[in-house]
Amino acid sequence: MKKAILAIVVSLLVLTTTVIWIMYAGSVSWGEFLQYLVIFVLVIFGFFAAWRRLTSAKRGEPAEDELSKKVVQKAAALSYFISIYLWLVIMYLTDKLKVETDIMFGWGILGMAVIFALSWVFFHFRGIRNE
Amino acid sequence: MNNRIRELRARHNLTQDELARKAGVRRETIVFLEQGKYNPSLKLAYDVSKVFGLMIEEVFIFEEESN
Repeated sequence: MKKAILAIVVSLLVLTTTVIWIMYAGSVSWGEFLQYLVIFVLVIFGFFAAWRRLTSAKRGEPAEDELSKKVVQKAAALSYFISIYLWLVIMYLTDKLKVETDIMFGWGILGMAVIFALSWVFFHFRGIRNE
Repeated sequence: MNNRIRELRARHNLTQDELARKAGVRRETIVFLEQGKYNPSLKLAYDVSKVFGLMIEEVFIFEEESN
């Protein structure tokens, strides 16, 4: 229950900050629009994670069990591995396109979050066999 | 690893929800076990077998991989 509330609070904070950012942004470039889109997808993922925990609690099931913990562990390991290559690509592009450091970090952090979400979805639907 | 969870669940007239609650796991875990998408830990295998009143080897069938 605590983790579900935490996920909702964090998602709401991210959403509020993004809305404030959009309000003060003025004209929006394609890059910024893409960033907003990715942030909204991540916020939806956060709400989905909280909703899963709350519905489990309602049904009298544990919020976490050995499979869900393993899925998170595997997703974290895979996303860490892929993120190394993401940073490599970002560093290469930063050098080539002369992107500012804060924008590079923004894309890096967003990319890592997206990779983790996709890894989680992958293991959640594929399952974990022969381990 | 194969298992007889679906068959035993039907024989005991249990839904996936009920079995999950009795074994102390989420319903998704039972779904994945039935589909053979997850090999349980020894503890979970024991807990599921205990619900059916059987030994682990009567519920879970281990097949050695031929290399």
